[in-house]
Amino acid sequence: MSRTIDPRRSGSHPFLLLLIVAAHTAMLLTVGLTAGFTPEVMKLGCYVLAADFVGSIVLQLVQRQACTVDFVLLLVLGISTIYQSCFGGAVFAMKHYLFGLMAFVMCQLSYLLVRNPYRAERLKPLWYVLFGILVLSILLFTGSRGIWIDLGFITIQPSEFVKPVFVLICASSMHTQLQKKEWKGLHYVPDNLGMLICTGVIVCLQWWCRDLGSLPTFLAVAAFGLLLRLYYLREKWSVRFMVVFGICGAVLAVAALKFAPAYVQDRLNVDIWADMSGDGYQQCKALTAIAEGGWFGKGAGNGTLHTVAAANTDIVFATISEEWGLFSALMAVILVLFLPAAVLTVPPRSYYHAGLAVGVAAVFMVQMTLNIFGSCNLIPFTGVTIPFLSQGGSSMLASGILAGFLKAAQAPVLSSAERSRKKAQGGRMQKA
Amino acid sequence: MKRQTDGKSRKARNPIPLSVDAPRSVLRAGQATSLLIVLFLAALGYLTYTLLTEASYYVAMSGTADYGIVYDRTGDVLFDGSRPLEEYPEGQFADVGNFIGDTSGQMSNTLISRNLEDLTNYSFMLGMSQGNASWETTLLHSANRAVFDAMGEKEGTVIACNWKTGELLVCVSKPCVDIAKGYDDLANMPSGSLLCKAFYPMVPGSTQKVSTLIAAYETCGIEQINAMQYDCSGSWLNAKRQRINCHKEQGHGTQTLVQAFANSCNPYFAQLVQSEQLPLSRVIETFTKMGYAVNGEKGKRLLMDGITASPATVTLADPKDFDTQWSCLGQGDTLISPYQLMLWQTAVASGTGKSVQPYVIAAKTDAEGNRTEQTVRQSSEQLFSATTAQAVRDVMTQNAAAYYKDSLGDYVCGVKSGTAQIIDHGEEYENSLLVGFSMQETCPVAFCILIEKRTAGELTTASLAKVLLDALQDMT
Repeated sequence: MSRTIDPRRSGSHPFLLLLIVAAHTAMLLTVGLTAGFTPEVMKLGCYVLAADFVGSIVLQLVQRQACTVDFVLLLVLGISTIYQSCFGGAVFAMKHYLFGLMAFVMCQLSYLLVRNPYRAERLKPLWYVLFGILVLSILLFTGSRGIWIDLGFITIQPSEFVKPVFVLICASSMHTQLQKKEWKGLHYVPDNLGMLICTGVIVCLQWWCRDLGSLPTFLAVAAFGLLLRLYYLREKWSVRFMVVFGICGAVLAVAALKFAPAYVQDRLNVDIWADMSGDGYQQCKALTAIAEGGWFGKGAGNGTLHTVAAANTDIVFATISEEWGLFSALMAVILVLFLPAAVLTVPPRSYYHAGLAVGVAAVFMVQMTLNIFGSCNLIPFTGVTIPFLSQGGSSMLASGILAGFLKAAQAPVLSSAERSRKKAQGGRMQKA
Repeated sequence: MKRQTDGKSRKARNPIPLSVDAPRSVLRAGQATSLLIVLFLAALGYLTYTLLTEASYYVAMSGTADYGIVYDRTGDVLFDGSRPLEEYPEGQFADVGNFIGDTSGQMSNTLISRNLEDLTNYSFMLGMSQGNASWETTLLHSANRAVFDAMGEKEGTVIACNWKTGELLVCVSKPCVDIAKGYDDLANMPSGSLLCKAFYPMVPGSTQKVSTLIAAYETCGIEQINAMQYDCSGSWLNAKRQRINCHKEQGHGTQTLVQAFANSCNPYFAQLVQSEQLPLSRVIETFTKMGYAVNGEKGKRLLMDGITASPATVTLADPKDFDTQWSCLGQGDTLISPYQLMLWQTAVASGTGKSVQPYVIAAKTDAEGNRTEQTVRQSSEQLFSATTAQAVRDVMTQNAAAYYKDSLGDYVCGVKSGTAQIIDHGEEYENSLLVGFSMQETCPVAFCILIEKRTAGELTTASLAKVLLDALQDMT
């Protein structure tokens, strides 16, 4: 079974790059025809296509290490830059572009860091230390119960970087699961205990920061991590167990909603159309913008939603819909969906990587759910971002790191493990 | 598999070749990811559907879209979204406000709110257009106004359609919001101002006897039923010793069905329901075919150009029990919307047993100037047999000729009146109803008239029917 894209065999590599360039060129032409071929538009075109060109060369040079994730990421980052450059007028979004490039680099670095599951697992104490540092930085440096660290020239959101670290903590190997210990007759796996403690710390921290919007993301990662750990040796899913697990989740959710702070309760019960200038302002504007954009949008740069707060972050789906149309916005979201979905076509070879992939999928999916459905008033509105599409340096870099985990899950395992596999296969063949 | 958990060699540090031993676990991780993706895509599909169906509402609420004009069949304006309604004469929209509706979002079950996207210059596909949309409706505004004025201070509803074509001609419901005056005084508006009562269930009174008669004809045959005679002494004790009173205290004596129908005699119809010749199962079968939701079953909602009406409901448990007999007399649990009562009249008037599908929007012109006519004239499935329809038509026509000549003048009509006994929050009162049809070639109309809390000496449903028919003589 072929587990990576090997262009030297299939010849798909140049074809994929051509598709990426073609997609970006088509979008840039659309921008030019709508907003005119102004210097800003030309600059945008040059930078985006230059990134494609450089990216193509890099991926061509490291063909054996290139995965579907790389190509999708290159495509998404270019599209995202074009979107962000057009909100309310075509002006090249240099900052977003640079963070996009950095996200691509972070993707490669995190891939190198975790591609060896054994090493990544051995580095687990380091992840706990990182987790502790990030938590402390939130407690000490984010001001009065805030989530941002203001360095003057730049603001950092440490909680975004907690996400990839937490995914690393929640992923586990079978070997680790077998390391059981006993305390007063009670058997437990230290790694599982660590994960639960970290989850508890995050819940407390988010409550303290009043940033409950990110809590579902962390809880989803923890839930799937727990699920995989509980099921690591079993043959198949137990329906009874899943029902109990689901009921527990539902009870917790109901309890959380019941005891949620007043401002959360307000968001749960707000009738946005009855409070169009108050609590429902952003959602009303977002829904109206989507409606006015229709299937094909008002045209790049012709939107009005950019004047609303968080137009390029929390309600970015609506902003894209208004200018480019609902069809384009949906396609962009589905494109981001390709990142975790790519792991389905080329399954991870290790249990550890599988855990990483599920964790990243949970982060991406929950964030997109909260952002899109929240801004469209199907669920309470929270201030989370869509990975890669929303503006925000911390979010972009954290998403890049998470994409690196997906790439590691897709990439070939180390030669030692490969040898083990072949050896095992050879042994079986001899027995046969 | 040999487990190694200690040692210094590389193999010892990587004791389990993960790729070999964990395929099922890895597979489950893939299943978990797939589940997440499928759930997300399903939610995205739902979101898309919601956006498509509600986009017009969002645009309406934002006030960015322009709306077109709704005309009656003569070109009179029933709603104008292109300019302030205050510019029209006082009361221009006061008679049909809660039926035609407006773009304020205050009313949900109106013609405009149900078809909002077709009246805007906005469409999800094309965005905003420069022109204005318009609708031509089948309503005759002058007739609506005549009926509205004739009702005076009385509350109620009048709905009428052409039983040949399905064109809705009149739909008035009082009290009615005047959309030109807006909703600033919403708190002080009379209850029911924002809904058209023609589409909401109410107690039908003796107009239900039309349905009971249809069920009897369908079950036993016309000749047998017409030959049945029962005695009325002013009240009657059923098999369970429960009393059914007649509105005529001294009773009607021995009557045939036609006489009892004309007299609206409760004891006669109660005896008919209790009769072993009229099996309850057959009555239920007929009622179900007619569209009743019997004994708590979920019925099919009725639809007219997007406006919905709840199906009729009736409880038929034991033919010897008061509740069942009372239901067949149109009291108790029986609830029917005037719209549905009118529908059955179209099936009777046409003599086919099939009701016509009423419609109100005759043609739509979109903001781009494209005109679409409603050309499909649908009729229902067979509600009851044509023979039954013709027999009921004859009974109702005889009833009108014998008892409503003074009220209805020379119109060739069939009618059945009813009085619904209502207890609402401790208050007892009676609603007066009249269902029927006109057989005039120039005015083939089926109608239902409801006057609420009517007392003796006040406006009668028959005189209102006369106003209605007179007004519809101008129908072109």
